[in-house]
Parts: sequence; C-alpha cells; structure tokens
Amino acid sequence: MNFKFTDEEEKLRQKVIDFLRKEVTPEVVAEQQPLYRQFNQWAPLTSRIIRKMGEKGWLVPNWPRKYGGLDMSNTTTFMIHDEMSYFHLPDIFMGALWAGPTLMKYGSEELKNEFLLPLARGEIEFAVSYTEPEAGCDLSNIQMRAIDKGDYFLLNGQKMFTSAASCGRYAWLAARTDIENPKKHRGISMFIVDLKSPGVTIRLMQTIGDWANNEVFYDDVKVPKKYLVGELNRGFYYMMAALEYERMFPVGWWRRIFDDLVAYTKEAKLNGKALGQNTLVRQKLAQLAIELEITRLLYYRIAFLIDKGIAPSYESSMEKLFWGELSQRLSNVGLQVLGLYGQLKQGSKWAPLDGIIERHYRSTICETLAAGTSEIQKNIIAQRGLELPVNY
Amino acid sequence: MDFGLNEIGEILKKSARDFLIAECPKSYIKEMAKDEKGYRPEIWRKMADLGWMGLMFPQKYGGGEGSFLDLVVLLEEMGRACLPGPFFSTVLLGGMTILDAGNEKQKSELLPLIAQGKLIVTMALLEPHSTYSEENIKMEAIDSSDSYMITGTKLFVPDAHVSDYIICAARNKSRLTNKDGISLFLVDTKSPGIKTTLLKTLAGDKQCEVRFEKVKMSRESILGELHRGWPCVQRIIHKAAISKCAEMIGGAQQVLEMTVDYVKQRIQFGRPIGSFQSIQNYCVQMLTDVETSRFITYQAAWKISEGLPYANDVAMAKAWVSDAYRRVVTLGHQCFGGTAYMEDHSLHLYLTRAKAAELAFGDADFHRESLALGMGL
Repeated sequence: MNFKFTDEEEKLRQKVIDFLRKEVTPEVVAEQQPLYRQFNQWAPLTSRIIRKMGEKGWLVPNWPRKYGGLDMSNTTTFMIHDEMSYFHLPDIFMGALWAGPTLMKYGSEELKNEFLLPLARGEIEFAVSYTEPEAGCDLSNIQMRAIDKGDYFLLNGQKMFTSAASCGRYAWLAARTDIENPKKHRGISMFIVDLKSPGVTIRLMQTIGDWANNEVFYDDVKVPKKYLVGELNRGFYYMMAALEYERMFPVGWWRRIFDDLVAYTKEAKLNGKALGQNTLVRQKLAQLAIELEITRLLYYRIAFLIDKGIAPSYESSMEKLFWGELSQRLSNVGLQVLGLYGQLKQGSKWAPLDGIIERHYRSTICETLAAGTSEIQKNIIAQRGLELPVNY
Repeated sequence: MDFGLNEIGEILKKSARDFLIAECPKSYIKEMAKDEKGYRPEIWRKMADLGWMGLMFPQKYGGGEGSFLDLVVLLEEMGRACLPGPFFSTVLLGGMTILDAGNEKQKSELLPLIAQGKLIVTMALLEPHSTYSEENIKMEAIDSSDSYMITGTKLFVPDAHVSDYIICAARNKSRLTNKDGISLFLVDTKSPGIKTTLLKTLAGDKQCEVRFEKVKMSRESILGELHRGWPCVQRIIHKAAISKCAEMIGGAQQVLEMTVDYVKQRIQFGRPIGSFQSIQNYCVQMLTDVETSRFITYQAAWKISEGLPYANDVAMAKAWVSDAYRRVVTLGHQCFGGTAYMEDHSLHLYLTRAKAAELAFGDADFHRESLALGMGL
C-alpha cells in the first residue's frame, strides 16, 4: 500500500505544475472557453503549449524514448494529464492515449514509425471513429464496408459523433471487412484514414455543450493497404482493448471547478451570510470533495494496474462510470448552491464564476453517454468484474 | 502508487480469515449476541496467542511492532466475520490510548497484559445528549488533596461490562467552562461506585451505560497530561473511525460475495436472476461501493501509518463508508428477496452491524461537517 507518487514522479509533477502556471495564461483559458474542453487541441495558443509539452515527452512519458516518451511509468502519464486537466487544458488525447497503446502493440513497424512520434509530440490527433447510426452501444453492428481492392481498401459508409474529426488529421476507424461471418464482431478491421482523402465529407453537429461534434461520410474513399492496423478482422478486439485505455478520465477539470466553487462560497453572501456557512451547502460540498477523491483513487488504480503489467478491465469502466455521474452531480450541486444566479451565462454581469457552472451543467450531459454509456459500463462491470451471466 | 497489500499484509489477511472461519461461525455470533458476556474467553486467548492484541505495540511492551495498516487488515477480516467481543475496545480505545498518552509506568504495566489477552480495557466518552465533541464532556472530576472524585453518567461505552479498566474523559470543576479542561482517568472497574448496565442495541453488540457515583481515583490514575486530554481523545477518535471503516469494508465485501453467489444460483423465469440487468446494476453498485470504500479507508490508514496529516482523510473515509456499507447491505437484501428477511439467514447480522458502525465515531453528516471545517468552510 502506498498512496503517493514516487520521488521521480513527484519531481516531474512539480516541474509540470510550474510549467503550466507559467504557460496557461488567462488568454489561453479564454481561448479554450468557447470551445469546451476536449477537442480543441488545435486552438493556436493551446496547441503551442501542447507541442511544448510533447517535445519534453510529457504527453506520453510512459512510452519508449524512440517514440517520443520518457520510459517512465503509466502513473506519470495519468498524473500529468490530471494536472493538465486541472489547468483547463485539453485532457483527452484520443490518438496518443487511446489508439497509441493499440498501435504500439499491434501496428506494423511502418505504421509505428509514421504515427507514434507525431502523436507523442502533439503534432497530430486521431478522431476515433467507431460509432455509426446503427452502431452505438452495440459496436459489433458496425455497417461501414471496407472492400479489399488489391493494393487498397475501398471505404463506404457513415460515422456518427466523430469527436475531433474537424481538428484531427486522421480517423482511427473501424469498418466491416467480412460480411459472411455470422459472428459479427469477427468481421471488423481497424484502419487509420487520412481525413483529407477524396470522398470524405465532414458535417458539424453542434452540441448543447458549446462544442461541435461531427458526422463523417465516406464515399469510395481509398485507404492504402499499409493503413490496416494489425490483423484483418481483429478490429473488434483492438477496439475493446483501446476502449479500456480510453476510459481514463482525469478528475482535474472537475476539481478545478469545485475549488473555484468552494472559494466562491467562502466569499459570496446570501441574505447577509456567507453561502459556505449554510449547513446544507457545507454537507453538499463536503460530499463532492469526497467523491472527487474517490474518482482520483479509481483513476490512479487503473495506472497502477497497467504499471503492474495487468490490462485494466472492469476497473476502467468503474472509473468512467463514477467520473461521468459525478460530473453531473457536481454541476447540479453547483447550480443549487448558486441559486438563481447559477443560470446566468458567461458574459452576464451577475454570472458567478463567469458562468462556468451553467456551461458545465449542459456539457456534462455528454459524460454519461460518450465513450460507453453508464449502462454499458455497468454491463461490463457486472460481466467482467463479477462474472454475472450475459443476457442480451 | 500501490493499491495492493504487501506480503506481510497478505499473510496476516489469510491467517486471520482462516482462523475466523474456523472459530467464528455464524452460530457463534448469534449465540454471543444473546450471551451476557458477549464472547468466549478461549477464543480470546487464542487471538492473543496469535499476537493480535499486541499487533501494533512496540516489542518492549510485548507487541508485534506492526503498523496501523496491519491492524486495519486484521480489522477488515474481523468485520467480515462479524467477530463479537472486546477486541476493538481493548486494542483501539484502550491500548492505543495508553500507548498515546500513558507514562512509562502505565505503558510497561498495562500494554504487555493487553498483548497477552489478560486485560480488557475500554473508553467512556459520550454522555447523555452529547456527541463526539470536547464541549459536551460535562462529567466532573473534583480535585481533593490527594485524589480525584468523579460523578456522572457515560453512555455507549463498548464492553464496559467485561472491562478491567475504563478510560474515562472528565473535566475539572475549576475548568468547567474552559475548552482545554478534559483529563483522562484510568479507572479500575473494581472501584466502589461504578454501576454498569448493558444497553439493548440493534446489533446485539455490548454497549453500556456506566454510572460513576463519587468514584475516587488516585493522582497516578491520570493518563497523559492534566487538562490536556482532548487532543489525545481526538487522535483516538480518528483512529477508531478508520478502524471502524476497516471492519465495515470487511463486512461489505462479505455481503457482496454472498449476494453475487446467490444471484448466480437462484433461478427464476428459467435463468439465474443475476442475468437480469436490474440485479446486475445493484451488484455493480455494491462492487463500486466496496472497492471505493476500501481505497479511501486504506489511503487514510496509510497516512496514519506514515505519520502524515490525516484528519481530512479520516473524515472522507468515515463519511463515505458509513453511507456505502448501508447501501451495500440494503441492496444485498433486495437481491436475496424474502429469504434473507428470515432470522435463520445471516445477512441481517450485517444489516444491523452496518448501522451500528455507521453511528459509531461520527456518522456521515458528522464527518462531512468535519471535512467542511477542514476545507476552510
């Protein structure tokens, strides 16, 4: 049992914090705000910070040096992304953190050489492309076809909710390569697709959380053979493995909002008394503090497992489930504490905390849906964590 | 970070589990709930032989030099087994307080006896209409030339009916209004003027009313510094709260395992009820509650072991685990249906103990308020 970082990790953490304090200026935060947090690595000021961090090996310190990492622990990677998240930087790197481990394990040398270093440096991003109109929670039902045409695959179909398609250069995409196999999940393959290829059409879908998602159409898109990841028809398994890494959600962002909220309740008065003196407010804030700490522990448990050489399974789902549901409790309590003022939007003269909780209330609706709904996470925990029988 | 136990912890866990499976079957627990003493001395002696009572005392007092974390591992197994008896009072409330505040003479006399299983000790803190706070200790200790005399009533004193000593928190009359007026007295239960009555409790555990009527004590019976007893009490409450959490996570783990086994076997509509998503969701909630409770408890215990500041961590753990264990047992009951509503079943042992443990050493509301204070609110 040990709940602290190693000396080496802690030293780096302090360096990262010092760096972020200096670099994340109010202008950077302002640049991020209208875009919400996830998919805006490419906003100019933010992008510069990300690349600086990438050059130092800080985006994926657990990777080997030759691919742009520092040969450090997975805990280090989790720790740095937690700090980045606290400083309102993007905390989700689909290419580096989600696809990267799969690419490193199953990709050809050629693919690894082409993509790993730019991902580690924060120069490119992948848009994860699994979901389709008829394949949401049920990913084995992917319909998009990839037909072998000799030296390339021909792609036809539609992807939905492709976060980052408008800012990422490549899609990390699952498509059907075998329609004969009655076991649907055995006919799917994984590809890396250049989103600038002819035949790709991206349509923005504005979310209620102030950021845009995408719908992407593929009409006769040619994907060179070398961009098939790993083995043909093994894509579903890669996707499942990647999803386990995908479910690492840092709690830093929530903690920052919480800290700001607590600071606000110490100052702000309601009916002549500081908000933070109200018993109910104190109880609710303390409960949130506890739940934030729990999420932090669930988050670092995943890193601990990976560092021990154990692939995370239901443990990632538990973190995602708790994290997502907490994000909504946090915004709900935030709005309850702020009362009528909480509904005021950013820019409004009377808006507390510049409307961040109002925005959070809308945006966090997504957190129990994306990357596996809460219900899917519960299925995974029940089946893998408790070995309860599948019944669907 | 390391979320696992070390080798010593694993060995201790296994040997404790094996011992308790053999010595503490459910029939024993139910029998002891009705028994006036509440435990069997031969099991107590065996526990002492295993080195459990002195586990974390220094070697010079006959102890095993273990850490607080080791004790937590042991308590988790005791909670899993619902072990009845005065271990918690003797080791946590008695031994730890003597170790914390006692002078050399008190430590070298009493701790080896505790380690050998020859001495039962408890602490008397709460009074009628009071909670765990310094201001609410009103019992008077009147100073006469060579002794003190205490009069008053203490409540919810665990295992007082079988204790050899009661560590009693009282206040000097001259200091009745001061915050720092609390002293700890080591009271021999054979002293004249002590009357102990067992309270009838939900969990059948042995909590007592102890009436002190002009009980006379020598100056040597003071444990720690005169008028400066509260900081020690505060430390013990924190450690006791985490120790309670340890018992609770052991109990919650057992309830989870019982429930998951049951829902895999129980067939309705031609299939195991564990294949239904409603039941699965309950089980997922239970697993999440058990694992998160374990992490937050062990984090606080680890901080205590390492000598790091721990007040906020204790508050977080006891608040969380108090709610979580209750959720686990009530969901367990829902999964078991009518079968576990019957007294023959053992699930209700956990239902009642979860509630008793929730109330002990501060419930969730109490600890959320402590945490709010700790956060500067």
